[in-house]
Amino acid sequence: MSKRAGIGFYIFLAIFVFLVMFPFIWVFLTSIKPVGEIFTSFSWFTKSPTLSSYEAALTNRPLLRYMLNSFVVSSLTTVLAVGCAAFAAYAVTRLPIKGKGIFLGVVLAASMFPQIAIISPIFNLVTDLGLRNSYIGLVIPYITISLPLSIWVLSTFFHKIPFELEESAKLDGASPFQTFRKIIFPLATPGIFTTAILVFIAAWNEYLFALTINSDDIWRTVPVGISMYQSEFSIPWGDISAATVIVTVPIVILVLLFQKRIVSGLTSGSVKE
Amino acid sequence: MKKFQLNEKQLGYAMILPSLLLVIVVTLWPVAQSFYNSLFDYRLNDPTRSQKMLNANIDLERYVDNYFYIEGQLSDLEGNAEGDQLEVVQQARETIEGYHQELTTDGEINAKIEQIDEMLMNFEPISDAELKYTEVDNDFASDYRSALENISAEFQSIAEATDNEQLAQSFEQTGSLLAGTSDNILESNFIGFANYIKYFQDQRMWQSLWNTFYFTVVSVGFELVLGLAIALLINRAFKGRGIVRASVLIPWAIPTAVAAMMWGFLYDGQTGIVAHYFEKLNMIPSASWLLSTSDGGMFAIIFADVWKTTPYMALLLLAGLQTIPNALYEASNVDGANKWQQFFKITLPLLKSAILVALLFRTLDAFRVFDLIYVLTGGGPANATESISVYAYITLFSQQNFGAGSVLSVIVFLCVALISFIYVRLIGSDLFAGRTK
Repeated sequence: MSKRAGIGFYIFLAIFVFLVMFPFIWVFLTSIKPVGEIFTSFSWFTKSPTLSSYEAALTNRPLLRYMLNSFVVSSLTTVLAVGCAAFAAYAVTRLPIKGKGIFLGVVLAASMFPQIAIISPIFNLVTDLGLRNSYIGLVIPYITISLPLSIWVLSTFFHKIPFELEESAKLDGASPFQTFRKIIFPLATPGIFTTAILVFIAAWNEYLFALTINSDDIWRTVPVGISMYQSEFSIPWGDISAATVIVTVPIVILVLLFQKRIVSGLTSGSVKE
Repeated sequence: MKKFQLNEKQLGYAMILPSLLLVIVVTLWPVAQSFYNSLFDYRLNDPTRSQKMLNANIDLERYVDNYFYIEGQLSDLEGNAEGDQLEVVQQARETIEGYHQELTTDGEINAKIEQIDEMLMNFEPISDAELKYTEVDNDFASDYRSALENISAEFQSIAEATDNEQLAQSFEQTGSLLAGTSDNILESNFIGFANYIKYFQDQRMWQSLWNTFYFTVVSVGFELVLGLAIALLINRAFKGRGIVRASVLIPWAIPTAVAAMMWGFLYDGQTGIVAHYFEKLNMIPSASWLLSTSDGGMFAIIFADVWKTTPYMALLLLAGLQTIPNALYEASNVDGANKWQQFFKITLPLLKSAILVALLFRTLDAFRVFDLIYVLTGGGPANATESISVYAYITLFSQQNFGAGSVLSVIVFLCVALISFIYVRLIGSDLFAGRTK
């Protein structure tokens, strides 16, 4: 269905983009207002913009520490999950093993398990292992949560690589693992990169496990840390909007840089090609 | 030298092994464990119930310590009491010694008791759970417990009746020591399906289940309709696709907790701009309606969720639309079909599997909703927006009641299993297409 876009269409688009982005615009505008103005007026633009909310957001709570925690946990998760998933997806799509259907079924079923149903035994397990308030304690559940998605997306990518390549590698005397490492893995790099971005975002956003397992303030991740800005007596909206802007900027950059890859990763599971 | 090499099959199994192990240890085993936990009265914050015990147990450390004092106090009482009271004391002594002897006839338990006795004499802490707790017969435990409680009650009533103040005090002291000792005998906290029965009669459980269901149906419904409309509109060539795509992806990419905080600000009754505009437009009765009434709270949550996930839905459907060959529309144009006919006869049928897959993922996500509600409303006002996951979380971690909380998580699990089962039946084998050879 290729229709040419008219002026009405562009007006519609502009309104749509504005509505979707409105919360971000408003939060940004709030973050540069003097604190007093937030509670007294609904005017869009302040006459005396200030960065004091940013200063408060960074000093009242260890926001940079939260971001460091999130970054370390998400990066570790991404590397380990994509590694495991690449192995599994390769085996499932290209090696002659039995029980592929069962394996994929188990993985798919695991992706549907609600996290609330597994949180208490994992909490006990992590406590017994002494891994509460650490990076590893979060990384282990995160890897498993992101495995199904990664295996799913990666197997679509692996499937698209021509099968003749392996056969000629075999003829040249390459071992199966060499074929994987030297032929297929490099060719699948775009797919692996795409998967890595999705896993990174998913781990960055996770809330329930981070809330329960890392309860010490210095081990909190960004989503949990942000939700703790509310104090008992008042809600410091200035701090919160500044903190929101700070933690959203990296994600916006990530999205702007890799939007095509993200879309291809998101849709690869849902559309038959 | 030829290196050891795996053949293709062995390599294949070796390659899926790490993933399989992780999935089993971190998802399958915990679900089974949750189910097992749900059969116990298992509370982390209650020392007599902080272990799951299929059989009765005795906390030997405290029992041995108490028994030493019981023996001494009973012989003191025998020296001071007279008449009926003396008889009661003698009988009590006989009963307790009888039970204690029965306990020590088991060689293993006796050995443990002797070891603990020695350690207590030396003031050594007993940290080994194997040594500290010993399993005993369920009937024996409950008999011994009730015998101790009865004697304790008897002693207390003697203490109240007697005039001799000093004697009364000794009776009371021994009585409470006996009651304390009966607490060292831990009866099994295996309660079978009693927790389930409790929750099936629990108003709050049904309310939260209904809230979850309502939230899921309404928000996924809106997301589907809006997402489809957006996908149809932007499925064409235009300038600025990049901007639209990015603006659509950003709400999806930010953490739900951050989005919830943001909406909390926008909805706020005093400072919230969205609440303010909605009030100005007469869409809501007052600016504080959104977060302080039950209907308002539900509306606020659904609105925020629709904002965050409609773009994702639109992307999935757009990808589906782009696989429909243009030739079909051209041919139907030639046949004189109008736009509606094209939509219902070509677009919808060919988009069916993309829609179902998108719906499956969204429905499951919506049914598990936790962070949005937990951060935005905390389940309030008056539990009106509490989802079943939030209720389970509060029971598990705020009340530390792992037994009852596990029941709620099992309920979530069963609902999710049912939903996936229905969808997978509808989607059929398409789900696996293009992945296995």
